[in-house]
Amino acid sequence: MKFGIRLVLGALIAVVGTFGAAAQDTIAKIKQRGTIVVGVKNDYKPWGFLDPSGKIVGMEIELAEDVAKKLGVKLEMIPVIAANRMEFLNQGRIDLVIATMGDTAERRKVVGMVEPNYYAGATNVLAPKSANLKKWEDLKGRKVCAVQGAYYNRRVGQLYQPDLVVFPAVPDALNALQGGNCIAFLFDDTLIGSTLAGGDPKWANYEMPLASEDPQLWAIGVRLTDLDAPFGKLMKEMSVDWHKSGRLLALEKKWGIKTSPYLEEANKKHRGS
Amino acid sequence: MSALAVLLPRQPAAVGSEWGAARMPSALRSRKTIAALAILGAVWTAAAWAAAPVDRPSVLALAVKWAPLIFGGFLFNLLVSVAAMALGTAAGVLLGLAQISLLRPVQAASWAVTQFFRNAPWLVLLFFAMFLLPFEWRIGGVTVPFPAWLKAMLGLALPVLANVSEIVRGGVLSIPLGQWESAESLAFSRRQILWRIILPQAVKRMIPPWMNLYAILTMATTLISVVGIQDAMTLTRGALVAEARTDLYLPLYFMLLLMFFAYCYPIARYTQVLERRFAVRG
Repeated sequence: MKFGIRLVLGALIAVVGTFGAAAQDTIAKIKQRGTIVVGVKNDYKPWGFLDPSGKIVGMEIELAEDVAKKLGVKLEMIPVIAANRMEFLNQGRIDLVIATMGDTAERRKVVGMVEPNYYAGATNVLAPKSANLKKWEDLKGRKVCAVQGAYYNRRVGQLYQPDLVVFPAVPDALNALQGGNCIAFLFDDTLIGSTLAGGDPKWANYEMPLASEDPQLWAIGVRLTDLDAPFGKLMKEMSVDWHKSGRLLALEKKWGIKTSPYLEEANKKHRGS
Repeated sequence: MSALAVLLPRQPAAVGSEWGAARMPSALRSRKTIAALAILGAVWTAAAWAAAPVDRPSVLALAVKWAPLIFGGFLFNLLVSVAAMALGTAAGVLLGLAQISLLRPVQAASWAVTQFFRNAPWLVLLFFAMFLLPFEWRIGGVTVPFPAWLKAMLGLALPVLANVSEIVRGGVLSIPLGQWESAESLAFSRRQILWRIILPQAVKRMIPPWMNLYAILTMATTLISVVGIQDAMTLTRGALVAEARTDLYLPLYFMLLLMFFAYCYPIARYTQVLERRFAVRG
């Protein structure tokens, strides 16, 4: 059903988009406006989340700030959710997506994915020890909480056939897990790691029982028309720079994410070249 | 007592003394409801307080820390509700009058529009408004931005418009036919009858359902969080993400609930008062 809604919305947006499509170069447009508009997450700690003053902070926000600084313009952030970030980008409401977006072949048909990718995560579940999960197949037919729009939902759903209970945001899903509405929460393994290491006694009897699967690259998104235009090229250069200079590794550390093998490798590779 | 109780419209004890029992016979019931809610909130907060470990900030401290931001979001919800109501009412009154037009096509068209928007889910209308309208208009050489909250407001105004249209039609039809007939016998024109005789009587009857609609709309404004607008609901969720504390989940949503309750409950009470005052006797 959700897919159906997206299909209809996609078609509507395609119609609207043809009116709004501008041939103007995106960099020129951003500079003329004096502001770059970036779609970010504000509900995905520590990549993008709120502080009590209402400001959005996090690792991805610093990347967005880097881009604004490079272009010499102001940064405007629009909070997006998985269900609307690609639509906003193609509508032109935002210039760039830095919002924990998984780089999938399907999405590449809709938006331009900037390479090299700035992060990679893998999939695992958070579950009470009492659930006694040993392997992914144990999830079959059981209720598993998940978050709307996460790239791994479909894959896990097809491979292991759990009964997915999908929530709009992470806190809702975590609450449902603690309330016993599901036996596990399907999530990014680095985030499960930080949740468990956070010291909340409520998670004392929980674990990450499975072997992480499906390493998934995350990408900054630009419009397809921008990917090979100056704007897309600039983003690629910046991305290489972030890897080479160790900026991404430093940010990861700063925001308390466990150092990911992907970033270490990419850093070595880009420094070597 | 507790900080949560401060969010209530007034101290439970003050309600009875300020609103005389003669003017508002049901003040007692109202006082009980508010008191019950205050007690529930206090018990809950105390329980959460007791459960919080010593080395981490208490739930109450966290709620206080995030309250200003969430309250700011709540004011935004109110702004959207007032704007959507104003727009919906203006358009809805015209549509409602068109529904009682003697011109067959006008009546049929306005009836169709009313039925369409009245029987469509609010969230779906909101989706259409969000994704069909452009994010900016180009008028001449000037680009005028069309912000998301404005679109959301339009999206919410659609069901309001249809409901107001029905309220107007129903209000006019509720006036006994004798009023029309006697006015006609006094040689008033149709327009004169409507404006001078029927509508002044009908408006009184329209106000209570109209206020009900407003209270429902205000609570429905949290729907805009689904289409990615930073309203009180989204900000509450944002606070929950930032704190990553599962014991904060229900207390924070309860705080949000209290804000809406404190605003909508008096409206509901006053609506009932008006209903009684305008009740048709005999």
